[in-house]
Amino acid sequence: MSPSLESAPDRDALAGEYVLGLVEGADRERLEQRIAREPALAASVETWRGHLAAIDATARPIPPSPGLWARIEAEIAGILPAAERGRAKALKAGGTLADWWNSLFIWRGAAFAGALAAILLAIGLNGALDRAKRQPVMVAVLLTDANVAAAVVNTYPDGRVEMVPLQNIAVPAGMALEIWTLWDRTVGPRSVGLIDRARTTPLRLDQLPLGTNQLFEITIEPATGSPTGRPTGPIVAKGNTAQAL
Amino acid sequence: MIGVAQRLLKRRALAEEAVQDAFVLIWRHAARFDPQRGAGLTWIYAILRNRALSILRDEKRTETSEAPLGEEMASEEDDPETVMSKLSDAKALHACLETLPAQRRGLVLLAFVQGLTHGEIAGKLGLPIGSVKSWIRRSLIALKECLG
Repeated sequence: MSPSLESAPDRDALAGEYVLGLVEGADRERLEQRIAREPALAASVETWRGHLAAIDATARPIPPSPGLWARIEAEIAGILPAAERGRAKALKAGGTLADWWNSLFIWRGAAFAGALAAILLAIGLNGALDRAKRQPVMVAVLLTDANVAAAVVNTYPDGRVEMVPLQNIAVPAGMALEIWTLWDRTVGPRSVGLIDRARTTPLRLDQLPLGTNQLFEITIEPATGSPTGRPTGPIVAKGNTAQAL
Repeated sequence: MIGVAQRLLKRRALAEEAVQDAFVLIWRHAARFDPQRGAGLTWIYAILRNRALSILRDEKRTETSEAPLGEEMASEEDDPETVMSKLSDAKALHACLETLPAQRRGLVLLAFVQGLTHGEIAGKLGLPIGSVKSWIRRSLIALKECLG
Protein backbone atom coordinates (compact mmCIF):
# COMPACT_ATOMS: atom_id res chain seq x y z
CA MET A 1 0.00 0.00 0.00
CA SER A 2 1.60 3.19 -1.14
CA PRO A 3 0.85 6.18 1.03
CA SER A 4 0.58 8.54 -1.92
CA LEU A 5 -2.23 6.48 -3.47
CA GLU A 6 -4.27 6.50 -0.30
CA SER A 7 -7.24 8.86 -0.25
CA ALA A 8 -7.82 11.13 2.73
CA PRO A 9 -10.94 9.20 3.88
CA ASP A 10 -8.99 5.93 3.67
CA ARG A 11 -6.18 7.43 5.68
CA ASP A 12 -8.59 8.76 8.29
CA ALA A 13 -10.38 5.41 8.52
CA LEU A 14 -7.06 3.64 9.02
CA ALA A 15 -5.98 6.15 11.67
CA GLY A 16 -9.37 5.72 13.35
CA GLU A 17 -9.04 1.93 13.38
CA TYR A 18 -5.60 2.31 14.88
CA VAL A 19 -6.84 4.59 17.66
CA LEU A 20 -9.77 2.25 18.34
CA GLY A 21 -7.20 -0.51 18.87
CA LEU A 22 -8.32 -2.56 15.88
CA VAL A 23 -4.97 -2.70 14.11
CA GLU A 24 -3.01 -5.56 15.57
CA GLY A 25 0.27 -7.39 15.52
CA ALA A 26 2.59 -6.85 12.57
CA ASP A 27 0.08 -4.50 10.89
CA ARG A 28 0.21 -2.33 13.96
CA GLU A 29 4.00 -2.16 13.95
CA ARG A 30 4.06 -1.28 10.25
CA LEU A 31 1.44 1.38 10.80
CA GLU A 32 3.34 2.89 13.72
CA GLN A 33 6.41 3.19 11.51
CA ARG A 34 4.29 4.97 8.91
CA ILE A 35 2.85 7.31 11.56
CA ALA A 36 6.38 8.25 12.57
CA ARG A 37 7.22 9.09 8.92
CA GLU A 38 3.99 10.59 7.62
CA PRO A 39 2.84 13.83 9.22
CA ALA A 40 -0.63 13.65 7.62
CA LEU A 41 -1.25 10.23 9.11
CA ALA A 42 0.15 11.31 12.47
CA ALA A 43 -2.13 14.35 12.46
CA SER A 44 -5.14 12.17 11.69
CA VAL A 45 -4.24 9.82 14.57
CA GLU A 46 -3.91 12.80 16.88
CA THR A 47 -7.29 14.18 15.77
CA TRP A 48 -8.97 10.85 16.48
CA ARG A 49 -7.35 10.67 19.88
CA GLY A 50 -8.60 14.15 20.66
CA HIS A 51 -12.18 13.30 19.60
CA LEU A 52 -12.31 9.93 21.32
CA ALA A 53 -10.73 11.22 24.55
CA ALA A 54 -14.25 12.28 25.52
CA ILE A 55 -15.18 8.60 25.70
CA ASP A 56 -12.30 7.89 28.08
CA ALA A 57 -13.53 10.77 30.21
CA THR A 58 -16.77 8.85 30.82
CA ALA A 59 -14.92 6.06 32.63
CA ARG A 60 -15.81 5.78 36.29
CA PRO A 61 -12.94 7.26 38.32
CA ILE A 62 -11.37 4.55 40.45
CA PRO A 63 -9.10 5.53 43.33
CA PRO A 64 -5.73 3.79 43.18
CA SER A 65 -5.09 1.06 45.71
CA PRO A 66 -2.81 2.15 48.57
CA GLY A 67 0.38 0.53 47.26
CA LEU A 68 0.17 1.76 43.66
CA TRP A 69 2.07 5.04 44.00
CA ALA A 70 4.77 3.37 46.04
CA ARG A 71 5.19 0.70 43.34
CA ILE A 72 5.35 3.33 40.60
CA GLU A 73 7.85 5.37 42.58
CA ALA A 74 9.99 2.36 43.28
CA GLU A 75 10.06 1.39 39.62
CA ILE A 76 10.84 4.92 38.48
CA ALA A 77 13.53 5.32 41.13
CA GLY A 78 15.17 2.27 39.59
CA ILE A 79 15.47 3.92 36.18
CA LEU A 80 16.08 7.41 37.48
CA PRO A 81 19.63 8.14 36.30
CA ALA A 82 18.63 7.58 32.67
CA ALA A 83 15.37 9.44 33.11
CA GLU A 84 17.11 12.42 34.67
CA ARG A 85 19.18 12.79 31.55
CA GLY A 86 16.06 12.66 29.43
CA ARG A 87 14.40 15.26 31.57
CA ALA A 88 17.37 17.58 31.37
CA LYS A 89 17.28 17.20 27.60
CA ALA A 90 13.58 18.09 27.55
CA LEU A 91 14.24 21.22 29.55
CA LYS A 92 17.09 22.21 27.29
CA ALA A 93 14.86 21.72 24.26
CA GLY A 94 13.13 24.93 25.26
CA GLY A 95 10.53 24.59 27.95
CA THR A 96 8.94 21.48 26.51
CA LEU A 97 7.75 20.41 29.92
CA ALA A 98 6.27 23.81 30.62
CA ASP A 99 4.35 23.65 27.36
CA TRP A 100 3.22 20.22 28.29
CA TRP A 101 1.84 21.55 31.53
CA ASN A 102 0.07 24.37 29.76
CA SER A 103 -1.55 21.99 27.38
CA LEU A 104 -2.72 19.94 30.35
CA PHE A 105 -4.55 22.91 31.74
CA ILE A 106 -6.13 23.81 28.43
CA TRP A 107 -7.36 20.28 28.24
CA ARG A 108 -8.95 20.38 31.65
CA GLY A 109 -12.41 21.36 30.47
CA ALA A 110 -12.80 18.30 28.29
CA ALA A 111 -11.44 15.74 30.67
CA PHE A 112 -11.27 17.05 34.16
CA ALA A 113 -10.92 13.67 35.79
CA GLY A 114 -8.05 12.91 33.48
CA ALA A 115 -6.31 16.18 34.25
CA LEU A 116 -6.65 15.40 37.90
CA ALA A 117 -5.02 12.05 37.29
CA ALA A 118 -2.24 13.80 35.39
CA ILE A 119 -1.68 16.17 38.27
CA LEU A 120 -1.54 13.25 40.65
CA LEU A 121 0.91 11.74 38.22
CA ALA A 122 3.15 14.78 38.41
CA ILE A 123 3.03 14.70 42.17
CA GLY A 124 3.86 11.03 42.09
CA LEU A 125 6.80 11.60 39.77
CA ASN A 126 8.12 14.56 41.73
CA GLY A 127 7.79 12.51 44.87
CA ALA A 128 9.91 9.82 43.29
CA LEU A 129 12.46 12.37 42.18
CA ASP A 130 12.61 13.93 45.63
CA ARG A 131 12.99 10.54 47.13
CA ALA A 132 15.90 9.80 44.84
CA LYS A 133 17.51 13.11 45.77
CA ARG A 134 17.09 11.92 49.29
CA GLN A 135 19.28 8.91 48.60
CA PRO A 136 22.37 9.71 50.66
CA VAL A 137 25.75 9.91 48.95
CA MET A 138 27.67 9.21 52.13
CA VAL A 139 26.68 7.63 55.37
CA ALA A 140 28.39 7.53 58.76
CA VAL A 141 27.16 5.06 61.34
CA LEU A 142 27.89 6.40 64.81
CA LEU A 143 28.67 3.64 67.29
CA THR A 144 28.73 3.77 71.07
CA ASP A 145 31.80 2.45 72.88
CA ALA A 146 29.84 -0.80 73.24
CA ASN A 147 29.75 -0.92 69.40
CA VAL A 148 26.01 -0.30 69.27
CA ALA A 149 24.79 1.86 66.38
CA ALA A 150 23.34 4.96 68.05
CA ALA A 151 22.83 7.23 65.05
CA VAL A 152 23.57 7.66 61.34
CA VAL A 153 24.73 10.78 59.55
CA ASN A 154 23.53 11.01 55.94
CA THR A 155 24.95 13.41 53.36
CA TYR A 156 22.94 14.22 50.21
CA PRO A 157 23.74 15.28 46.64
CA ASP A 158 22.43 18.81 47.29
CA GLY A 159 24.83 19.31 50.20
CA ARG A 160 22.39 18.66 53.01
CA VAL A 161 23.60 16.60 55.94
CA GLU A 162 21.36 15.13 58.59
CA MET A 163 21.75 13.08 61.73
CA VAL A 164 19.18 10.38 62.44
CA PRO A 165 19.25 8.76 65.88
CA LEU A 166 18.68 5.01 65.92
CA GLN A 167 17.97 4.74 69.60
CA ASN A 168 17.11 6.93 72.53
CA ILE A 169 20.13 8.63 74.08
CA ALA A 170 19.95 9.54 77.77
CA VAL A 171 20.61 13.27 78.22
CA PRO A 172 21.07 14.49 81.84
CA ALA A 173 18.93 17.49 82.90
CA GLY A 174 20.45 20.82 81.83
CA MET A 175 22.61 19.11 79.22
CA ALA A 176 22.34 18.65 75.46
CA LEU A 177 23.75 16.54 72.66
CA GLU A 178 26.29 18.29 70.48
CA ILE A 179 27.37 16.89 67.12
CA TRP A 180 30.91 17.42 65.88
CA THR A 181 32.83 16.71 62.77
CA LEU A 182 36.57 16.28 62.37
CA TRP A 183 38.22 16.26 58.95
CA ASP A 184 41.70 17.43 59.94
CA ARG A 185 43.35 16.82 63.30
CA THR A 186 45.35 20.04 63.01
CA VAL A 187 42.11 22.04 62.70
CA GLY A 188 40.31 20.03 65.39
CA PRO A 189 36.61 19.15 65.68
CA ARG A 190 33.94 21.67 64.71
CA SER A 191 30.42 21.81 66.13
CA VAL A 192 27.74 21.15 63.50
CA GLY A 193 24.62 20.76 65.64
CA LEU A 194 23.16 21.00 69.12
CA ILE A 195 19.97 19.19 70.16
CA ASP A 196 18.20 18.83 73.48
CA ARG A 197 17.36 15.17 72.93
CA ALA A 198 17.89 12.48 70.34
CA ARG A 199 15.92 13.44 67.24
CA THR A 200 16.53 13.75 63.51
CA THR A 201 18.29 17.01 62.91
CA PRO A 202 19.93 18.81 59.97
CA LEU A 203 23.64 19.45 60.51
CA ARG A 204 25.14 22.82 59.61
CA LEU A 205 28.28 22.08 57.65
CA ASP A 206 28.04 25.24 55.53
CA GLN A 207 31.60 25.94 54.42
CA LEU A 208 33.16 22.98 56.17
CA PRO A 209 34.76 20.29 54.04
CA LEU A 210 32.97 16.99 53.69
CA GLY A 211 34.56 13.81 52.46
CA THR A 212 34.78 10.11 53.03
CA ASN A 213 36.33 8.81 56.18
CA GLN A 214 35.43 12.04 57.98
CA LEU A 215 34.67 11.65 61.67
CA PHE A 216 31.30 12.57 63.18
CA GLU A 217 30.70 12.27 66.91
CA ILE A 218 28.06 13.12 69.50
CA THR A 219 29.06 14.37 72.95
CA ILE A 220 27.14 15.44 76.04
CA GLU A 221 27.55 19.18 76.56
CA PRO A 222 25.84 21.94 78.55
CA ALA A 223 22.39 22.93 77.19
CA THR A 224 23.83 26.01 75.45
CA GLY A 225 26.64 24.03 73.84
CA SER A 226 30.27 23.45 74.70
CA PRO A 227 31.69 26.56 76.42
CA THR A 228 35.10 26.05 74.81
CA GLY A 229 34.06 25.33 71.25
CA ARG A 230 35.69 21.93 71.66
CA PRO A 231 34.06 18.72 72.88
CA THR A 232 34.23 18.69 76.67
CA GLY A 233 31.79 15.97 77.72
CA PRO A 234 31.72 12.20 77.27
CA ILE A 235 31.46 10.83 73.75
CA VAL A 236 28.09 9.15 73.16
CA ALA A 237 28.86 7.73 69.73
CA LYS A 238 31.20 8.26 66.81
CA GLY A 239 31.79 7.01 63.30
CA ASN A 240 33.35 7.83 59.93
CA THR A 241 31.62 8.62 56.66
CA ALA A 242 31.63 6.07 53.87
CA GLN A 243 30.34 6.21 50.31
CA ALA A 244 26.81 4.83 50.02
CA LEU A 245 26.37 2.28 47.26
CA MET B 1 -6.75 6.36 34.35
CA ILE B 2 -7.51 3.22 36.31
CA GLY B 3 -11.13 3.52 35.22
CA VAL B 4 -10.14 3.53 31.55
CA ALA B 5 -7.76 0.61 32.03
CA GLN B 6 -10.34 -1.35 33.95
CA ARG B 7 -12.89 -0.96 31.17
CA LEU B 8 -10.41 -2.57 28.85
CA LEU B 9 -8.95 -5.16 31.20
CA LYS B 10 -11.94 -5.83 33.49
CA ARG B 11 -9.71 -6.92 36.36
CA ARG B 12 -8.59 -4.38 38.88
CA ALA B 13 -5.11 -5.83 39.38
CA LEU B 14 -4.41 -5.82 35.65
CA ALA B 15 -5.76 -2.28 35.35
CA GLU B 16 -3.35 -1.09 38.01
CA GLU B 17 -0.53 -2.94 36.32
CA ALA B 18 -1.33 -1.10 33.08
CA VAL B 19 -1.40 2.24 34.89
CA GLN B 20 1.90 1.50 36.59
CA ASP B 21 3.54 0.51 33.29
CA ALA B 22 2.08 3.59 31.61
CA PHE B 23 3.48 5.93 34.25
CA VAL B 24 6.91 4.42 33.93
CA LEU B 25 6.73 4.75 30.13
CA ILE B 26 5.55 8.35 30.47
CA TRP B 27 8.43 9.06 32.78
CA ARG B 28 10.93 7.44 30.42
CA HIS B 29 9.58 9.21 27.36
CA ALA B 30 8.81 12.62 28.82
CA ALA B 31 11.61 14.08 26.70
CA ARG B 32 10.10 12.58 23.57
CA PHE B 33 6.72 14.23 24.07
CA ASP B 34 6.15 16.83 21.40
CA PRO B 35 3.58 19.47 22.34
CA GLN B 36 3.34 20.51 18.66
CA ARG B 37 1.72 17.20 17.94
CA GLY B 38 -0.96 17.16 20.55
CA ALA B 39 -2.18 17.67 24.06
CA GLY B 40 -0.30 16.13 26.95
CA LEU B 41 -3.32 14.35 28.26
CA THR B 42 -4.14 12.57 24.99
CA TRP B 43 -0.52 11.50 24.86
CA ILE B 44 -0.76 10.07 28.36
CA TYR B 45 -3.96 8.24 27.56
CA ALA B 46 -2.57 6.93 24.29
CA ILE B 47 0.32 5.37 26.20
CA LEU B 48 -2.08 3.94 28.77
CA ARG B 49 -4.38 2.47 26.12
CA ASN B 50 -1.48 0.97 24.21
CA ARG B 51 -0.17 -0.67 27.31
CA ALA B 52 -3.60 -1.90 28.42
CA LEU B 53 -4.31 -3.33 24.96
CA SER B 54 -1.06 -5.26 24.86
CA ILE B 55 -1.75 -6.67 28.32
CA LEU B 56 -5.26 -7.56 27.15
CA ARG B 57 -4.03 -9.36 24.01
CA ASP B 58 -1.25 -11.15 25.92
CA GLU B 59 -3.59 -12.27 28.68
CA LYS B 60 -6.08 -13.58 26.16
CA ARG B 61 -3.35 -15.57 24.48
CA THR B 62 -2.21 -17.19 27.70
CA GLU B 63 -5.60 -17.33 29.39
CA THR B 64 -6.27 -20.78 30.78
CA SER B 65 -9.30 -20.09 32.94
CA GLU B 66 -12.79 -21.08 31.82
CA ALA B 67 -14.00 -17.53 31.31
CA PRO B 68 -11.93 -15.67 28.71
CA LEU B 69 -10.91 -12.24 29.88
CA GLY B 70 -12.89 -10.27 27.30
CA GLU B 71 -16.19 -11.80 28.33
CA GLU B 72 -15.61 -11.48 32.02
CA MET B 73 -17.74 -8.99 33.92
CA ALA B 74 -18.32 -6.71 30.96
CA SER B 75 -20.11 -4.28 33.21
CA GLU B 76 -23.29 -2.62 32.04
CA GLU B 77 -21.58 0.67 32.67
CA ASP B 78 -19.33 -0.06 29.70
CA ASP B 79 -22.20 -0.96 27.47
CA PRO B 80 -22.22 1.24 24.31
CA GLU B 81 -25.56 2.91 24.99
CA THR B 82 -24.64 3.66 28.63
CA VAL B 83 -21.43 5.24 27.45
CA MET B 84 -23.45 7.23 24.90
CA SER B 85 -25.67 8.62 27.63
CA LYS B 86 -22.62 9.74 29.61
CA LEU B 87 -21.19 11.46 26.56
CA SER B 88 -23.68 14.31 26.61
CA ASP B 89 -20.93 16.68 27.75
CA ALA B 90 -18.96 16.07 24.59
CA LYS B 91 -21.53 17.60 22.28
CA ALA B 92 -19.79 17.25 18.93
CA LEU B 93 -18.84 13.62 19.40
CA HIS B 94 -22.23 12.76 20.87
CA ALA B 95 -24.11 14.43 18.03
CA CYS B 96 -21.97 12.74 15.38
CA LEU B 97 -22.34 9.32 16.98
CA GLU B 98 -26.10 9.95 17.07
CA THR B 99 -26.13 10.21 13.29
CA LEU B 100 -24.96 6.61 13.02
CA PRO B 101 -27.39 3.70 13.27
CA ALA B 102 -27.33 2.38 16.85
CA GLN B 103 -25.75 -0.93 15.89
CA ARG B 104 -22.85 0.64 13.98
CA ARG B 105 -22.29 3.16 16.75
CA GLY B 106 -22.18 0.21 19.14
CA LEU B 107 -19.42 -1.46 17.14
CA VAL B 108 -17.20 1.59 17.37
CA LEU B 109 -17.82 2.01 21.09
CA LEU B 110 -17.27 -1.67 21.86
CA ALA B 111 -13.89 -1.53 20.17
CA PHE B 112 -12.78 1.62 21.95
CA VAL B 113 -14.29 1.13 25.38
CA GLN B 114 -13.81 -2.60 25.86
CA GLY B 115 -10.85 -3.09 23.57
CA LEU B 116 -12.57 -5.81 21.56
CA THR B 117 -11.10 -6.95 18.25
CA HIS B 118 -13.07 -7.25 15.00
CA GLY B 119 -13.39 -10.99 15.66
CA GLU B 120 -14.56 -10.57 19.23
CA ILE B 121 -17.18 -8.02 18.25
CA ALA B 122 -18.39 -10.33 15.50
CA GLY B 123 -18.60 -13.23 17.97
CA LYS B 124 -20.35 -11.21 20.61
CA LEU B 125 -23.01 -9.84 18.28
CA GLY B 126 -23.30 -12.88 16.02
CA LEU B 127 -22.31 -10.94 12.91
CA PRO B 128 -19.99 -11.91 10.07
CA ILE B 129 -16.50 -10.51 10.70
CA GLY B 130 -16.33 -8.97 7.21
CA SER B 131 -19.46 -6.92 7.92
CA VAL B 132 -18.09 -5.78 11.26
CA LYS B 133 -14.89 -4.62 9.58
CA SER B 134 -16.58 -2.72 6.81
CA TRP B 135 -19.25 -1.20 9.07
CA ILE B 136 -16.67 0.10 11.50
CA ARG B 137 -14.68 1.49 8.62
CA ARG B 138 -17.66 3.22 7.10
CA SER B 139 -18.74 4.50 10.51
CA LEU B 140 -15.29 6.01 11.01
CA ILE B 141 -15.40 7.74 7.65
CA ALA B 142 -18.86 9.14 8.44
CA LEU B 143 -17.74 10.23 11.91
CA LYS B 144 -14.67 11.93 10.55
CA GLU B 145 -16.79 13.80 8.02
CA CYS B 146 -19.16 14.89 10.76
CA LEU B 147 -16.49 15.86 13.27
CA GLY B 148 -14.31 17.60 10.73
